[in-house]
Amino acid sequence: MGRFTRTGVAMGLATALAASAACSGGERTERSDSNTLRIAGPFEVHSLEPAASDGFFTRLQVVETLVSSDMRGELTPGLATSWSDAKGMRSWTFELPEDAEFHDGTPVTPDAVAASLEAAADEAASPLADAPVRRIVPVDSGVRFDLSAPYPTLPAVLTHYSTAALAPASYDDGHVTEVIGSGPYEIDRVELPASIEVSRFDEWRGDQPAIEKISFQAVGRAESRALMAVSFQADVVFGLEPAGRERVAATNGVAMESSLQPRTLLLKVNADHPVLGDVRVRQALSLALDRAGMADAVLREKELAATQLLPPSLRTWHEDGLEPLEHDPDAARDLLAEAGWKPDESGTLRKDGTPLRLTLTTYPDRPELPALATAIQASLREIGVEIEVDVTNSSEIPARHQDGSLELGLFARHFALVADPLVTVAETFAPQGEDWGVMNWRDGEVTKAVDGLLHSPSDDEAQEYRTRIVETAQQELPLIPVAWYRMNAAVSDRVANFELDPLERTWRVADVSWAEQ
Amino acid sequence: MSDTRRRLIASVLLRRTGQGLGVALAVSVLCFLVVRQLPGDAAYRIAAGRYGDDLVNAESAAAVRAELGLDRSAWQQLGDWLLDLVQLDFGRSLVSSRPVLAEVGYYLLGTLQLTAAALGIAIVLGGTIGVVAARRPGGVLDRLTTAWVALVRALPPFLLGLLLILLLSVHFGLLPAVGHGNSSSLVLPALTLAVGISGLIARVTRDTVIDVTNSEQVQFARTKGLGERVVLVRHVLRNTGVVLVPYLGAQAVILIEGVVVVESLFAWQGLGHALVHAVFWRDVPVLQAAALALARLVVAINTVVDFAVLGLDPRPRRKGVLA
Amino acid sequence: MRTARRSEPSDVNTALVRPDAIAETSGRWSASRVLAASVLVVIAAFGIIGPLMLPDPATQDLSRFLEPPTWAEPLGRDDYGRSVIARLAHATRLSLVLAALCVGTALVLGTAAGIASAWFGGWVDAALRGLSEVLVALPALLVVLLFAALAADGSLWTLYIGLALVQWVEYFRVVRARSGLVLGSPAVEAASLLRLGPVHVLRRHLWPELRPLVTTLASLGMVTCILAVSTLGFIKVGLKPPRAELGLMVTEGFPFYDSAPWMSVAPVLVLFLLTACFLGLRRTEVTT
Repeated sequence: MGRFTRTGVAMGLATALAASAACSGGERTERSDSNTLRIAGPFEVHSLEPAASDGFFTRLQVVETLVSSDMRGELTPGLATSWSDAKGMRSWTFELPEDAEFHDGTPVTPDAVAASLEAAADEAASPLADAPVRRIVPVDSGVRFDLSAPYPTLPAVLTHYSTAALAPASYDDGHVTEVIGSGPYEIDRVELPASIEVSRFDEWRGDQPAIEKISFQAVGRAESRALMAVSFQADVVFGLEPAGRERVAATNGVAMESSLQPRTLLLKVNADHPVLGDVRVRQALSLALDRAGMADAVLREKELAATQLLPPSLRTWHEDGLEPLEHDPDAARDLLAEAGWKPDESGTLRKDGTPLRLTLTTYPDRPELPALATAIQASLREIGVEIEVDVTNSSEIPARHQDGSLELGLFARHFALVADPLVTVAETFAPQGEDWGVMNWRDGEVTKAVDGLLHSPSDDEAQEYRTRIVETAQQELPLIPVAWYRMNAAVSDRVANFELDPLERTWRVADVSWAEQ
Repeated sequence: MSDTRRRLIASVLLRRTGQGLGVALAVSVLCFLVVRQLPGDAAYRIAAGRYGDDLVNAESAAAVRAELGLDRSAWQQLGDWLLDLVQLDFGRSLVSSRPVLAEVGYYLLGTLQLTAAALGIAIVLGGTIGVVAARRPGGVLDRLTTAWVALVRALPPFLLGLLLILLLSVHFGLLPAVGHGNSSSLVLPALTLAVGISGLIARVTRDTVIDVTNSEQVQFARTKGLGERVVLVRHVLRNTGVVLVPYLGAQAVILIEGVVVVESLFAWQGLGHALVHAVFWRDVPVLQAAALALARLVVAINTVVDFAVLGLDPRPRRKGVLA
Repeated sequence: MRTARRSEPSDVNTALVRPDAIAETSGRWSASRVLAASVLVVIAAFGIIGPLMLPDPATQDLSRFLEPPTWAEPLGRDDYGRSVIARLAHATRLSLVLAALCVGTALVLGTAAGIASAWFGGWVDAALRGLSEVLVALPALLVVLLFAALAADGSLWTLYIGLALVQWVEYFRVVRARSGLVLGSPAVEAASLLRLGPVHVLRRHLWPELRPLVTTLASLGMVTCILAVSTLGFIKVGLKPPRAELGLMVTEGFPFYDSAPWMSVAPVLVLFLLTACFLGLRRTEVTT
């Protein structure tokens, strides 16, 4: 403790002030002169293992997948320069470039790539584990997949971040201890769970990116991220909530970018449930939802109210001509009355004395989910349906699907985890049910259509199959769409050419540059 | 060193070691039971933590269950963990697959940095205010101090943090609002914690300075003709220290509790942050190790304080010399 | 959580370490205590009567989100169009009731254990002391956090148990120390010589000595509880939306601090007044 004199007191105060001034001064210079592109987002980096990395290393373009996708969601070459299939899609060969190098200087060999892919195929969480892969063989100029069944969507599966290629030196005793990729950026520092720093890889075989250094920081609270955006402590800030977006819109020097994602916020319905098994009840629940009101209040954008399951960003799957889902509480009451549900004196619907009471399971990882759940609860109360909302861990939805106890589940389903939505759609409507798809619901026509699509039909046939799936889903409502999803980012004016990937696969940092001052 | 001192030191060590062991056992078993009691299937939870909501499904949960041996009985799992603990093997995080020791060490460092910075600022801030107030008891400054003490006492740390962010970060643009790693991002969270406890430090400093200044010892020193400054340093400071150090110990303990909230608010990577996440993801090894680290930290601080008091307080030593 | 829960570290004289907690002089009601008590009465009345008269705090009206205050809705509406004043009333009631329950439980348990420890000594004292040593070294927030995490369904029982569990130790330590002094005093010895019985000693000797200590601790305990619950609400552990809680309301309101200040100012003010008034309720502090 300082000396207890007047001078001492003054000195103490001066030191404290000087210390804070020094720190803030340092920060200021860093802010304007920094040659680092600073990115902040809501999710933490849990692990270096590709399957558990949540795609951070693919997004920062440190590691590459064999196949990539463009701004329209079409497949493009990634690490592989080209690919071809043989034996009726039972064998696929991916050609590797000759001059590719990992960040540790070792060449990208077929053996190294095959080893990474083997690891991905062994990881139950990876979409590659669901492909009928018999073995992955390194060949002269690339890798060959031998399959036990035809699998037309293999290239799309190989866009998933869990299938990225890592240098042999990345692994130690089966665990990934260091991320050594082959992309345009190499790792400088990783501090799990909150920060990654990368810099330009000088030996990169393609065009040199404009930005020299990039840092990523995970910041959990949305209001904190909004503050970072408006006080220029980050150049790109993902995942802002409505209030934060409004603040960004009102600030000079930073603007909101957004893109419609292939994600739908939807209600999964247990079709084997004594109440929900009746299609009229499902239709009534759908009719009771004030989607526009919810989208306006919760997502602050009326246009995000879903009119059908698959969003317009999935161009081949979205049917413009489809009769949209409506909000009509009276029609909902009529349908429920037809199904035998009559209101009692308090307004609650009852059938043979039992009230119409359902549990809705959801989780807080995406902040709009609990918000929408309470809005759905309020919407359904109006027609006399009582909903109990259970906000829990995301894993409870697959867990309750498996033990059959799920009634309604609210979540955000990503329909293009791999570049071809067909993979996810096929899973979603699997006749045996799917954790994040239908539950105890099957339809012969839909199963046939999905099968047809998986056997490389002609374009016209494919369109017919897709229409059949989408129309049946709209009619039967095994999944009740609520809203579409928009990914947003606050981007500082000093950043140019920033584009949001429609599939959330990458942040396209190699294409970004500094704005002309 | 006299026998009395040695005996004192031995008794402090014995007491704190006993406390440390009891705490370790209590924390381990409590954490384990709590995680067991949490509703839901642990394998699914861990899979969700690892792979995120897009990839968690029955298959990845089954793989996690097989890998981690979650189908063993609860007692078997607790026994295995305690056995590993005795061998100082904390295992690997169930979510990140990294060694728990490295992970918790990283968070511990973050918490220590934050606590030390906060304590430093609090001592300067609170001490200064206290001494200024003590110069004229009942004066305007003294009353202002009383108001300040009441004000910061009644504000929960998260509110204080929000106010500081609004003031220093948003309106004046002086400091980064959130973040971890560089020195400037440490200032706001440390300041939040420091302001919170500075009120009480100011209060105690003021009261003790007044008490000590009015004590016979100091009055005597004055009559001896010693200069005001010498009196202040030699008598007031030392005697104030005897009271303040244990008090600071108690404050450090409270600080460590406060960090959970402040860490969450400022995205600072520390033990509190690790705890909240481990509970959510069912990461038992990390939860137990983080809780252990927090509890051990409290015991360690108390031990240091005990010794500091032994060193500062002349009374036991004099007794020893006389004996 | 910031309350000086421990009279510890080392056995350095409790009173010196915590002058504000233990300080005790006259029982006279000063003007500031009267003021604090009246404000508390007003807030408590709001918390008790409000929930009965105001609309359901969970009812949403999505078309009226972030509506500014009007005569009908004096505190405006939040981002779901819920009535802020109704939520505030429910949150106030929750804070007060939960805090009172926890403090009451901790007080009874801690005081009983403290007296028992001083009265019987021996193994009773050793066992209780050992238990309190361990609990004292456990960060309170850690214990409460673990208990709160148990309440996955948002029930308040585990929160109550956790808070009471970490608080009783404080009463135990203070009561045990003071009871030891009182029970060893000549007055009590005389009483036992006269065979006046334990009830007499408790009522005539112990309780008058303990009462001021315990009430001071209790008003501090209320502050600790209210702050702890709001803190947990703030980090979103234990309490689930849409339950109204002061800390949770502050978290929910903060993103709208500039566009809808009525959402956060009201809970902040109530929280501040509650803690400030409970602090003000304590008797006059150390006089110099």
